[in-house]
Amino acid sequence: MTARLVAAAFAALFAFAAPAHARDELHLYNWNNYIAPETVKRFESVCQCDVVQTYYSDNEELLAKLAAGATGYDVLVPTSNAVQALIRGGQLKPLDKTAIPNIRNIDPAYLNTPFDPGNQYSVPYAMSTTILGYNDVKMKELGLPTDTWAVIFEPKYLEKVKGRVTVLDSANELFAAALKYLGYSANDVDPKHWDAAAAVIRKAKPYWAAFNASSYIKELTVGNIWLVHGYSNDIFQANQDAQAAGRPFHILQGVPKEGAVLAVDNMVIHKNAPRPDLALKFINFMLDGRNSAELTNLIGSGNPNMDAMKYIKPALLELPAVFPPPALKAKLEQLKDLTIAQRRLRNKLWTEIKASK
Amino acid sequence: MRRRSPWLWAAAIVAYAFLYVPLLIVVVYSFNDSRLNAEWVGFTLDWYRTLAHDEQMLRAAGNSLVIGIVASGVSTVLGTMAGLAMHRYRLRLLPILIFAPIAIPEILTGVSLLIFFVLLNFTLGLVSVALAHIAFCIGFVAIVVRARLAGMDETLTEAARDCGASPANAFRYVTLPLIMPGVIAGALMAFTLSIDDFVITFFTAGAGTVTLPLAIYSMIKIAVTPEVNAVSTLLMLLTLLLIIAAARLSPSLFRSQGDH
Repeated sequence: MTARLVAAAFAALFAFAAPAHARDELHLYNWNNYIAPETVKRFESVCQCDVVQTYYSDNEELLAKLAAGATGYDVLVPTSNAVQALIRGGQLKPLDKTAIPNIRNIDPAYLNTPFDPGNQYSVPYAMSTTILGYNDVKMKELGLPTDTWAVIFEPKYLEKVKGRVTVLDSANELFAAALKYLGYSANDVDPKHWDAAAAVIRKAKPYWAAFNASSYIKELTVGNIWLVHGYSNDIFQANQDAQAAGRPFHILQGVPKEGAVLAVDNMVIHKNAPRPDLALKFINFMLDGRNSAELTNLIGSGNPNMDAMKYIKPALLELPAVFPPPALKAKLEQLKDLTIAQRRLRNKLWTEIKASK
Repeated sequence: MRRRSPWLWAAAIVAYAFLYVPLLIVVVYSFNDSRLNAEWVGFTLDWYRTLAHDEQMLRAAGNSLVIGIVASGVSTVLGTMAGLAMHRYRLRLLPILIFAPIAIPEILTGVSLLIFFVLLNFTLGLVSVALAHIAFCIGFVAIVVRARLAGMDETLTEAARDCGASPANAFRYVTLPLIMPGVIAGALMAFTLSIDDFVITFFTAGAGTVTLPLAIYSMIKIAVTPEVNAVSTLLMLLTLLLIIAAARLSPSLFRSQGDH
């Protein structure tokens, strides 16, 4: 009897798990809220298929799952350094460029990077920059600059905003900002320069309210925090929420003149994709300016698609992080993966920073 | 009744507050009229309306429920059998085999199950998640059932056999009713473990299989909206109903030992 019960339970589960699907399916493994719902609907009607999305919240999650052998995904949207790791792991299928003519819409500045020379496997999807976010009323009141990393590192500025500043709880992001502030590349690996960066961070730490990577959006919106080192998409989100809640201030994006970190997410096809044909169709579809613009209009993401500009809401076009102006574009850097020895050194410095008073 | 010291009352109140106030906050904020949920703005049912139209979130909740029910059902049957076997026979290997999955870190279980499914060429989806959940729930059910059996008077079963009951009947009419509180407690535990498991589910879920914990976790990068509070509130309500149902089915489940 028990055996029959167990069998019945599984039969029911299979029946639930496999409803009769007459339509084709494209499996998209994506970040949450990283494609506009109307874009999905339009693609579904164009390709006569269903888009089935699964989400990850971290590149490492994606890498771990694929490294263990998970399959069934057609298109993935990893960040550049993760693309490089996937290429090295032999996880990706080369792109058939003849099937994606819309690649010509992408700004050449974002193509042919060291992460995927010649874009054999990947095309840029959307991006974000790590910059300053600030409360316009408070910063004006205090007369602080918002175009330099000095404002989060120099005690002479920090004195005025003590306890009202947060920085990202990420060794790589914070070191990159400090290295940029000192005039080095964000990818500089000279240990002496790292020591100098660590010293800058340690000196500024007593003035910061917290290392914060998640709730700073909320804190900015409510007005508890006036200045952050954060992601451009989050800062955009904070301002939208602040306006929706009718606050008497704006949350603006401040681009440091020393340059900043750029994170580009790219569309790639998994080597075992069940439907590489649909995957290519999807990639070409997303490279269309209108479809690409819908994501930017939704979350304020940076857009590498030149054709998207005419579809983007005017208010968003003014944001430096959406279409970085040429002067800024030249100073944006994508972070490269560290070697194991370098990572160990950075972790050591980071632990010392976290433990210091 | 003896008078109890006020300190005991104070300690009890603090302990229960610690357990239940966070849950209460989740419930209260599911009615908050603010996307950010940073402070109380006003009462609204909007988030429940949003939830009712959010197909993905509903599908995730549906998946979690189906997996939870199947995993707790199957693991209760198998776990009860394992508990019985361990109680009745002096087995050396079985307890190790049953309890090891409880002690093994979840991440290891998850990765090894994923590798195993890939080796077998088994399509990842609801079925693979349910199988994985059954695997780690059996041990918990077996522990609870065995503990219950240890407190059972063995002579009752023997008496039933003396009176001519077949082994099957003795089990069905004597042993099973006696251990029922343990079986139900095991089933509830399995259900709870299954419905909020993240790590093992993450690795064994296939393309397109989203459960509630997976859906909520992936939202952490972007701000978590009160919609998550709303869906959590509904889940809590469901769990509460389950516990009430279990208490009705087996009143002795929630009575302390002394009352027997």
